[in-house]
Amino acid sequence: MSALLTRADATRLLATRLTNEAVVSNLGQASLDLQNIADRPLNCYTFGAMGQCSSIGLGIALARPDVRVICLDGDGSLLMNLGSLCTIAAQAPRNYALVIWDNEVHQTTGGQPTATAGRSSLAAIARGAGIDKALEVRTADELERAFDRMLAEEGPFVIAVKVVKGRAEGRLDRDVIGYARRFATALAEVPAG
Amino acid sequence: MADTGWSKHVADVLRRNDIRTYATVPDYIVSHVLEHLWTDPACRVVTVTREEEGIGLLAGVWLAGQRGALIMQNSGLGNCTNALASLCVASQIPVVLVISHRGDLGEFNPAQVPMGQATGPILDTLGIRYVKPSSVAELESQGDGLIKLAYTRSLPVAFVLPPELTGGKQG
Repeated sequence: MSALLTRADATRLLATRLTNEAVVSNLGQASLDLQNIADRPLNCYTFGAMGQCSSIGLGIALARPDVRVICLDGDGSLLMNLGSLCTIAAQAPRNYALVIWDNEVHQTTGGQPTATAGRSSLAAIARGAGIDKALEVRTADELERAFDRMLAEEGPFVIAVKVVKGRAEGRLDRDVIGYARRFATALAEVPAG
Repeated sequence: MADTGWSKHVADVLRRNDIRTYATVPDYIVSHVLEHLWTDPACRVVTVTREEEGIGLLAGVWLAGQRGALIMQNSGLGNCTNALASLCVASQIPVVLVISHRGDLGEFNPAQVPMGQATGPILDTLGIRYVKPSSVAELESQGDGLIKLAYTRSLPVAFVLPPELTGGKQG
């Protein structure tokens, strides 16, 4: 079996494919990697409200059906808001994708195991919620194929990416008001299509 | 059957202020408001599994340039307090809350009372401006101004709907 990717390497594989997608990142590690690797105005970093990344992205996707929305969540955070998967399934936005960096631990708080370290599968839970395009990927090849599908096909997609444990490098800039304003302005400037 | 004429006034205040997306966990009282919105093709109503999810969803709606309201019971205010504080208040993202007030005058269920009594203090502690109209006339005189304030100040506001307005829920 090929080695798992780091979250940073997986973020790079996504970043090389981005054009005018809105990307919503989970508080902590996901936002830190995204900010360091591919800062751009169409990134919507989150800094609080643990669990809400997938819901914020859903709201954006419903309000702007012409823009593809990609959420970068964490396993610990999505486990706080599993009901979101049911709401995503019910609304079924074609422009929506939820990527989960699943390292099976609460990384930011010191690496305590989450339920995905045991018997729980987020892709299986997503399928049970009613999302047909729910994948679990473990290798770079699988991830590249999944990203290409996600950017070409109609969603909603849920892609649980098994990544290695480890804290992100660098420091997160926490301008919690400024980044929200920058994102809203950039999204408003994406022509309606 | 209690008079539910108040509910159309609530729905109309929201709609005439360009609120088109609604998230809800329904209760008996706010369901009267929801009936007007569900049947309006200009409105989208998303039933969420927990009120906190509605805060996230409506924050996204606002970031995408539109207005939203969360329609719930005051028990739901407890369920979404952290998201209100650490997302909407911290990042200055406005949202309109419409909250039925259980656990106050005339309440029959003891389990509703602690959250009912805590509702005003929680909103005050978070700095969320709210009105508690006891009549349709008060609702009509305060509603447009409250919603305007939300977007001027770029912070959440709340309509707390007391039993004097709605008739409450009889046990």
